[in-house]
Amino acid sequence: MSMETYLNFSQDNLWGELWPELSLCLGALLVLGFDLFSKSSNAKKRAGSLAIFFQFILLAAHLFDYLLLRHTFDRESFSGMLKHGIHQDVMRSFFLLSSLLVSLLGHRYLETRKLRVGEFHHLTMIATAGLMLLCQTQHFLVFFVALETVALCFYPLVAFDRESPKSLEAGIKYLIFGALSSALLLFGIVLLYGVGSNPEAWGTTLSTVPSSDAFSFSFLYQLLSENPNHLLLRAGVVLIISGIAFKVGAAPFQIWVPDVYHGAPMPITAFLAVSSKSAGFFVLINLVNGPFAGMSEFLLPLLGFVATFTIFFGNLAACSQRNLKRMLGLSGVAHAGYLLVAVMASMLLPGESDRAVWILFFYLFTYLLASFAVFGVMGLARVTDDSEHEFSDYENLAQKKPWAAFVLVVGIGSLAGIPPFAGFIGKLLLFSVAFETKLFLSIVAMVIGVVISIYYYFGWIREICFHPRPVFEDDEAKHDPWKDVGSVGMLKPALFSLVLASIVLGLWQGPIGDAF
Amino acid sequence: MLSVTPQHFLILSFLLVGIGFLGLLIRRNVLLMLMSLELMLNGINVALLTFSRVGSNLDGGIFVFFIMTVAAAEVAVGLALLVALYKKRNSVLSDDMGLLKN
Repeated sequence: MSMETYLNFSQDNLWGELWPELSLCLGALLVLGFDLFSKSSNAKKRAGSLAIFFQFILLAAHLFDYLLLRHTFDRESFSGMLKHGIHQDVMRSFFLLSSLLVSLLGHRYLETRKLRVGEFHHLTMIATAGLMLLCQTQHFLVFFVALETVALCFYPLVAFDRESPKSLEAGIKYLIFGALSSALLLFGIVLLYGVGSNPEAWGTTLSTVPSSDAFSFSFLYQLLSENPNHLLLRAGVVLIISGIAFKVGAAPFQIWVPDVYHGAPMPITAFLAVSSKSAGFFVLINLVNGPFAGMSEFLLPLLGFVATFTIFFGNLAACSQRNLKRMLGLSGVAHAGYLLVAVMASMLLPGESDRAVWILFFYLFTYLLASFAVFGVMGLARVTDDSEHEFSDYENLAQKKPWAAFVLVVGIGSLAGIPPFAGFIGKLLLFSVAFETKLFLSIVAMVIGVVISIYYYFGWIREICFHPRPVFEDDEAKHDPWKDVGSVGMLKPALFSLVLASIVLGLWQGPIGDAF
Repeated sequence: MLSVTPQHFLILSFLLVGIGFLGLLIRRNVLLMLMSLELMLNGINVALLTFSRVGSNLDGGIFVFFIMTVAAAEVAVGLALLVALYKKRNSVLSDDMGLLKN
């Protein structure tokens, strides 16, 4: 091989396209180093501020970069292994925003609970870099490595409170289930590769031999659309989809969700609920619109069953929960079911950038706003055991801390999908696109699911706003988690801007509405 | 004379994955569950190498290195968590876990 061949390869590697991920990793190392070399605990606290400041600047720079500087979409780099388009850029900003909010929530949480600062922000930032890379990949090798980078950061984060056996137990459970799902996913990839690397031996046909290798999405697209009935290929696709279903917590792979949400520290629960799930859905929609597009006949009934099952399971199981973190986890399972309907609609609509994809983005964004508002307020409460938030801890919050109650009620309302909050618009758009693609059974399931969800969401609102239990004079004094919340600092304006965004997006979608 | 064909390697790999999966389901010791996970990943590696050899392309062989690295990292994290849990609870049996209940 001559030198020119290598030159082409190296010129194909556009490292500049990856600058947000690279600078995020660099920032993560910076935060870790800062934490390592600062002596006093006061200086260590500044590592958290550094992380927040860094991520804020990065988010602003990234938004500026892709909104104003470089409009040329759909660029490919690293010999087609990565793709940078408008979807990918939207998701990158989404993950950066989510990571910034996790750091903000974590900053105060770590301080009140005397946990290590540097490692927390470091792992959060690395996980975010992995998530950003994950949504750009067009090749199963990068896909696997990015997925594992994320997973390996999440395991220690879930078990971050090493003094609490609950947190550790949740970490172990997440690790076992996460590793099992990766193994299943990997097995699926291997089956696809096995057939793709030697098509004739497995009785498949390929009209033209593509230049890309058997792990790349473009090759698999061709292979799968020419042989949609091949048994091994189908098995591979089902295994990959079940691996992703594990990550998003779709039934029947949802068993880990309540336990892990229950034990994980509050900011990490929010991180899991928002970033991890969104990444799973973006990857799923990328796969079913990309390499698996040829198999949609086979996948649609499968996903339809999974979506319906997920909606019913999540909502019914959430009704019986007394622990709020478990309830939120199971309601997150139900949300995953609704989002699966958007994925199905996107399979039925032509093209990769159809309405359903944008509705999925909008829904995820409203979910981010609402979830961080809810988890942010929950993180403020000084419950004796952080894993055990019960309904009664929120009794009469509207009188004790009116602003916190307001944020919480807007967050819950948006999650439940009642007007005038953004969650309502998200659900409405989801219904309309499901109607357009004639997914009537899924609509029925969604309507029933939403009605059930009103029960547990409004039970919580009732607890917050009204005083359901009479207080007798001879009652024992209960521990009040809202007595010494302490200074809230930066978190208060951040929570209020989330709530404001939730309300504004519920009333007026502006230029975003044009995409629907 | 019997010769070892790629099919034999594939059967071996499927067996390894199956044993690992079963071990994960029926073992009560988390340490053994981690070992079962390793077994699954190694079974996948065997399948990848067989496919790579049969299809005479190197991509599968390269993938194996990544899987090995990731598996090592996963076990490192898993053992660290397990040691921390053992210090708290003096047990690595999954029956003794059960703090996370409604």
